[in-house]
Amino acid sequence: MAVDGNSKLKRIGLQFAFWGVLAVLFGTLMINFVNFGQPNQLSAYDNDWDDLSAFRQDINDMGIETKSLVSSPLLLEELEDPRNVTFVIAGVERDTISLPQFSGESVVTFASEDGYSPSEVDAIVDFVVKGGTVIVFEDYGYANTIAEKFGVKFKRAQLYDTVYVHELDYNYIWTCMQLAPCGMNGTVIDPTTIESHSRWNITDPLAGRHICAVWADLMALNGTTVTEEEAGLCAQHHQDGLIRYNASYQMLLNNITSIDIDETNKHSSMITQGIRSVSSSEATIDMNGDGEIWIGSGLNADTPDLWGQFNTSIEVCVSATCSPFESGGRVHFVADGSTLINAIYDYEGFNRGDYGPVTKEMPANDNRKWALDVIAESLMAIDPVTGMPLGEASPTAMVIFDESRHVQSNVATDTYNMLYFVLVYFTGEGLAKLLLFIALFVLFEGVLLKKKDPDPWRHVFSIIYYGFGDANRYSYYAKNNKIKQVFLSKVRNQNGLTREEFDSMPARELQAMIADPVLVKFVFENRTFTLEQTVAIVKRVKVWGRV
Amino acid sequence: MWTRKASFTFAGGISLILIGMMISNHQMMILGLSFVAFIVANSWISGHGDVEVQRTLSADNLYKGDDLYVELLVTNRSGRRTQTLEVYDNVPHEMKLRSGLNQMKMNLGPGESARIRYVLRCPLRGHFSIGPVSLRYRNTFNLSVEEMFVDHHSDMIVFPQLRDVEEAFIRSRTPKMYTGATTLRTPGPGTEFYSLREYVPGDPFKNINWKAFARTGDLMINEKCRDAVTDLYIILDSRDIARIGTVLKNPLEMGTVAAASLASFFLQRRDSVSLIIYDEKLSYLPPDTGDKQHFKILSSLAGVAPQGAMPLQAVTNSLAARFSRGSPIFIISSCEGDGTVPAAIRDLVGRGHEVTVLSPSSIDFERLVSRIPRMSYEVLKIERQNRMTSLAGFGSQVIDWMPDMDLSQALLQVRGY
Repeated sequence: MAVDGNSKLKRIGLQFAFWGVLAVLFGTLMINFVNFGQPNQLSAYDNDWDDLSAFRQDINDMGIETKSLVSSPLLLEELEDPRNVTFVIAGVERDTISLPQFSGESVVTFASEDGYSPSEVDAIVDFVVKGGTVIVFEDYGYANTIAEKFGVKFKRAQLYDTVYVHELDYNYIWTCMQLAPCGMNGTVIDPTTIESHSRWNITDPLAGRHICAVWADLMALNGTTVTEEEAGLCAQHHQDGLIRYNASYQMLLNNITSIDIDETNKHSSMITQGIRSVSSSEATIDMNGDGEIWIGSGLNADTPDLWGQFNTSIEVCVSATCSPFESGGRVHFVADGSTLINAIYDYEGFNRGDYGPVTKEMPANDNRKWALDVIAESLMAIDPVTGMPLGEASPTAMVIFDESRHVQSNVATDTYNMLYFVLVYFTGEGLAKLLLFIALFVLFEGVLLKKKDPDPWRHVFSIIYYGFGDANRYSYYAKNNKIKQVFLSKVRNQNGLTREEFDSMPARELQAMIADPVLVKFVFENRTFTLEQTVAIVKRVKVWGRV
Repeated sequence: MWTRKASFTFAGGISLILIGMMISNHQMMILGLSFVAFIVANSWISGHGDVEVQRTLSADNLYKGDDLYVELLVTNRSGRRTQTLEVYDNVPHEMKLRSGLNQMKMNLGPGESARIRYVLRCPLRGHFSIGPVSLRYRNTFNLSVEEMFVDHHSDMIVFPQLRDVEEAFIRSRTPKMYTGATTLRTPGPGTEFYSLREYVPGDPFKNINWKAFARTGDLMINEKCRDAVTDLYIILDSRDIARIGTVLKNPLEMGTVAAASLASFFLQRRDSVSLIIYDEKLSYLPPDTGDKQHFKILSSLAGVAPQGAMPLQAVTNSLAARFSRGSPIFIISSCEGDGTVPAAIRDLVGRGHEVTVLSPSSIDFERLVSRIPRMSYEVLKIERQNRMTSLAGFGSQVIDWMPDMDLSQALLQVRGY
């Protein structure tokens, strides 16, 4: 019983250890991928002040379909008409899950550096090459894997500028979509420093002029007026029955970083990298993140931080002109993940309290106008005959929000996203497809080989059971000496003699007792007998002594 | 548990979904989803094995070669249908299905019953058990199958066959020392009054003579006359060597038949019969009379299995003191592989026992299963005859029992060599 008790305890202990280890492993996994403390933000499908629901609502109001992508940008490869799709990445808050995959050189890799796997980055690059538009809003997150493919790089350290919103705090930075920085006059932007967008405001429609400006030019040429509804994707510029395109953008950003041009890993298809906005020349970047700015003539341990003018928005295009009338798409990089959050994008609603209690009012800004202009340029339908813009969205227009890299506070949501990611990985990534095919093959083989239906029951009558004796002795019993011994035992038994009496008997007497000359010769002559002779002798032995 | 069909359907469904996702083929994905949905929907419709089983046997004890009639009553005690339910009554493989089937597929409604009837032939002696009852239920589309069993057993004993040996003893040339039941004027177990004696602690109360107690004041015991005339001892060789031959014809099987038949014959004559079985150990059943002893002997013989290599002399030495003086002893042994047999028989004869050696010819049993060269066979036979002759020389009756010879025939051939 003691042994039974011990083994029971051991079994319980083993089970406890197993489930314990499993729980630790699961917990480790969940901690890596789920941030329980942090609420989700920057989601186009939530309605908090730090989400993007107002932007999505505006898009929907324009009759454009919006979708969220919760698994992986690998799905962009499946799009039939990338020219009419805009992919919005607002904050890459977490790293990708490292799974084996083919890298660009068809070498298997097991880990991705930041944010997106090589396959996902390739999918995004292909999407842009095919004419899609990507907007990347990022500050300190993991978007650099994408950025590097387009020849830019986020600094991922906070930028401080003198051009900030004094009513709020120094984290709210003003930046203007123009090549020269806008400046301050006291506590407000100096209007004399406000210029126009460096590309959208040019006059040549085929050299990158904004599509709303081109359309407005057409309308003016024709002398037609439009209502606000008819203004379609350019409604943000509608004024007095006309489209009055205004290319100046006074953007409000929050907790921003800067974007450098770094062509080390740039994809060969990307041609143009146009800087669209910059900070003032008195901006600083807290490179070591200690909250203090120490600047010197060079970067060292004492003066690790940077000072000067930094890029806050860069546009990368496949074509040289970035024109929407040419093939190839474009990517807008903005050095702030929260550019389009409800609080800034829909500042009027925020100030009204639509997104919660208001402690300080948000100043007016052109973030909405800029974002809608990007959408308009990306998704406006173009007459296939005349090649002229039609003002309204293309029938297949779509805006996809990348929710796959947003931290979820809900375990179920995150688990769903992760499972979906794995599913997309196995159906989108080349190596995973290969593995999946092998796995399916093995699965079928396994089912074929291992899965057996229970055998039909039938009663088997089986009593086949033999005792075979000792076959080795058969040859021994064919030897002359054994035959001789058996014969002499027979002689002794038949004459009722004991062993001693028989052994002491004279030979002549024994010969007389045997009374058969052949057997006498067999007993007394040590010679070799042929098989036939031995058989004959055995026959004689058998009948010997019978009356 | 899923069947192979279900596993294939499920694997196919998953494969279609995944491949459909890979190549963006929606029809393929829908087909795959349909497969998986079919499996899922089917898992909601399963059978059950909540049944009550009752087995009836025509006999609990029977003789080798007899037929056993079995009836199995299966009742669905659940409130829903069993779906496809297979019922299989586990029968020992040593039994032959003579008629009917020990299994049935059924689909019982709530409270419904079904009967399975079959007949078994029992060609081997032994202790057997029928059961448990295995159940296997499947759903309608044969996508899932579950197995369970109802732990319902029916035990029985198959005794060795009994041969009629009376004629052999009537016609035998052996001295008629087995004279049948006569009352001996010695105390012992019996029915007729013998004498009164004083009570000794341990005496059964039912034997106290209360009238004598009332008269004398002392506890007095009624002693009975011993009924049996003979204590007959049957020594059966169950060593491993006794298994030579086929499963139905080997020295041990024939020995059990002989022991059962002799015991039955002598017990019918109200003799006391003792059974001694030796293999790797010694099993001794003291001499006794009556049906109970008959049952004990048959039960012992039913469970005999060849094993071990205990010499006969070890048996006779350890039991010599228990043998009643002058009682006849039957030794059923092939006398193979045991050099102590002559000495053991010489000792028994020397003590005044009437020893009869019934010896199945093991070399002839061996010949049933092995191809023995003719010359070796003849020499082996001569050697065996020598052994039999020497045993007869010690004063025992020796019977050389050939495989194709009936027991009564063999007993008739008793000779002194």
